[in-house]
Amino acid sequence: MIYDVTVIGAGAIGTSVAYHLCQKGFSVALIDHGDIANGSSSHCDAVALISDKAPGLDTQMGYASIQHYGELAKTFSYDFEYDRKGCLYVCETEEEYAAASAYAKRQASDGYDMHMVDAQTLQEMEPFLAKDLLGGIWTPGDIAVCPYKVCFAFVEEGKKQGLQVYPYTHISRIRLSADHAVEAVETDRGDILTKRVINCAGVWAPDVGRLVGLEIPIQPRKGMNLISEPTERIVWHKVMEFGYMMSKFESINFRRNVSPLVEEYNVAFNIEYTKADNILLGGYRGFRGFDVRSELEAMQAIAERGIRFYPCLKEINCIRSYAGVRPYVKDHLPIVSAVDTIPGFYIAAGHEGDGICLSPITGKLMAQLVAGEPTDFDIQKLSFSRFANAQQTA
Amino acid sequence: MMSREKFPDDMLVCRCEEITAGEIRQAIREGARDVTGVKRRVRAGMGPCQGRTCEKLVQQILCQELHIGPRQTGRSTARPPVRPVPFGELAEGVSKNDL
Repeated sequence: MIYDVTVIGAGAIGTSVAYHLCQKGFSVALIDHGDIANGSSSHCDAVALISDKAPGLDTQMGYASIQHYGELAKTFSYDFEYDRKGCLYVCETEEEYAAASAYAKRQASDGYDMHMVDAQTLQEMEPFLAKDLLGGIWTPGDIAVCPYKVCFAFVEEGKKQGLQVYPYTHISRIRLSADHAVEAVETDRGDILTKRVINCAGVWAPDVGRLVGLEIPIQPRKGMNLISEPTERIVWHKVMEFGYMMSKFESINFRRNVSPLVEEYNVAFNIEYTKADNILLGGYRGFRGFDVRSELEAMQAIAERGIRFYPCLKEINCIRSYAGVRPYVKDHLPIVSAVDTIPGFYIAAGHEGDGICLSPITGKLMAQLVAGEPTDFDIQKLSFSRFANAQQTA
Repeated sequence: MMSREKFPDDMLVCRCEEITAGEIRQAIREGARDVTGVKRRVRAGMGPCQGRTCEKLVQQILCQELHIGPRQTGRSTARPPVRPVPFGELAEGVSKNDL
C-alpha cells in the first residue's frame, strides 16, 4: 500500500499531526526510532499556557491549542490528565509589578482572561508562597497535561481511525522520484511507500532534513527540572516568577536580584503539582548539545530559587532530577510548513519549550495544510522559506 | 537470577507506586519494550525509591513476556540524587560525594 502521509517522530507534535490527519481521512504511518514519547516530550514540564506568550500570533495559537485540549479531553477515552489549574506569574518588585500589569492589560484588551491579583489575594490562592511578594498575573484558563500521556492518547485515538505505528524503526533513506517528489521512506523494517513525509522529529529534525538535502536550523536546548517525593499539597496552580520573563525582554535593562549561581544557570522558578502528588520544580535552560546529564550546580540553583518562593520546600525531599532537550529556533517561532523545493515534504518542528502547548493546534494546522484547506491562522511567519539560505542547499 | 515461574498478576512489583505484575504485563502489551517504557506507561519505578526494589523484577517480567535477554530490557536512566535529599540541603550546596 501507499500511505497518503508518513509522519516521522512520535512526540507531542508528530502524534498530534498523525491523529489530525487520520481525522481528515488520510492513511497515515507514524515512525519513530524509539518508543512513543521517548524524546523531549517525556523530559519536559507539564503545562500549556498563554501567560508566557507574546501578545499576537503566539498568544492566539496558544489559546486555540489550549481550547482544543479541552475538547480532546472530553472526547478521548485515553486520560491525558487535563487539568485547568490556572497560572500565577508572581512579582518580587514594584518594577516587575508595573511591567506585569502592562502585559496583563494588553492581553486583556485582546480579549484574554488575564488580570492582576494583589498580595493578599495571592496569599489566599497560594498560602505557602513567600509573604513578601507583591502580587501577580492570574490566568485562570491555563492548563496542565501529562505530556507523554498526550502522545499516547493521540496514538491510541489515531489507531481507532487506522493509524499505523512503527516504533523502534530506523530510517536509512527518504527516496525521491525523478521529479524530486517524496516517494518512500526506507527503513530497517522495509520500505514504506508514501505520497508525503512530515518531519516532526523536533531536535532530531535536522537529521531527517539532511536525508533530503535540507539544512533545518534547529538546535538542542537543554531544560532541567527537579521532582519531589509525593507530599501534602503546598501548591495549587502553576506558579512562575515574572522577573525571569522580564530579564529576557531585550528592550529593557532589567536584572533580577539573584545569586551568581541562579544567574549563571539562568534559573527561572516555576512549580506545579502533579496528579501523582509530586512537585515539579524548575527550571534551567542552557545549550549543552545533546548532553542531558543532570548538572549538580544547576540542581542546587533550582532548589535555591524554589525555596525563595516556597520556603517550605526546604523540608521536602527531592527524589530525582531530569533533563531533556528542546528544539530551539533562533527566531523563537516553530516551523509549520511545506517545503517548496520537495513536493510532498513538510516540516512541523522547532517549538522549543512550547511543543506541549502547541501540539493540538500544530496537528490541526498541518492537517489543514496537507488537505489544501485554509489554515485557522496565517502561518506565513512559520514557513520554512524564511530560512532562505538554508533552503538553497537542497 | 531469572525465575522460570511467572509472577502472579496480583503480585505487587513496585511498592512505592503500588503497581502489580499484571499492570506491568498490560504496559508491555501496550508497547513497552524496556524498563523506561514500562515506567512511562504505569509509573513502576517513579516513586521515592526510584526503582531500587522493582527494577530487577520489571526486567524479569520484560524478559519473560518478550523473550529477550536482561541486557535488552535496559534500565532506568541514572539520575541524582541517589537518595532522597531535602531541597534545603540541596540549595546549600552539595559536593559530588553527597549525591
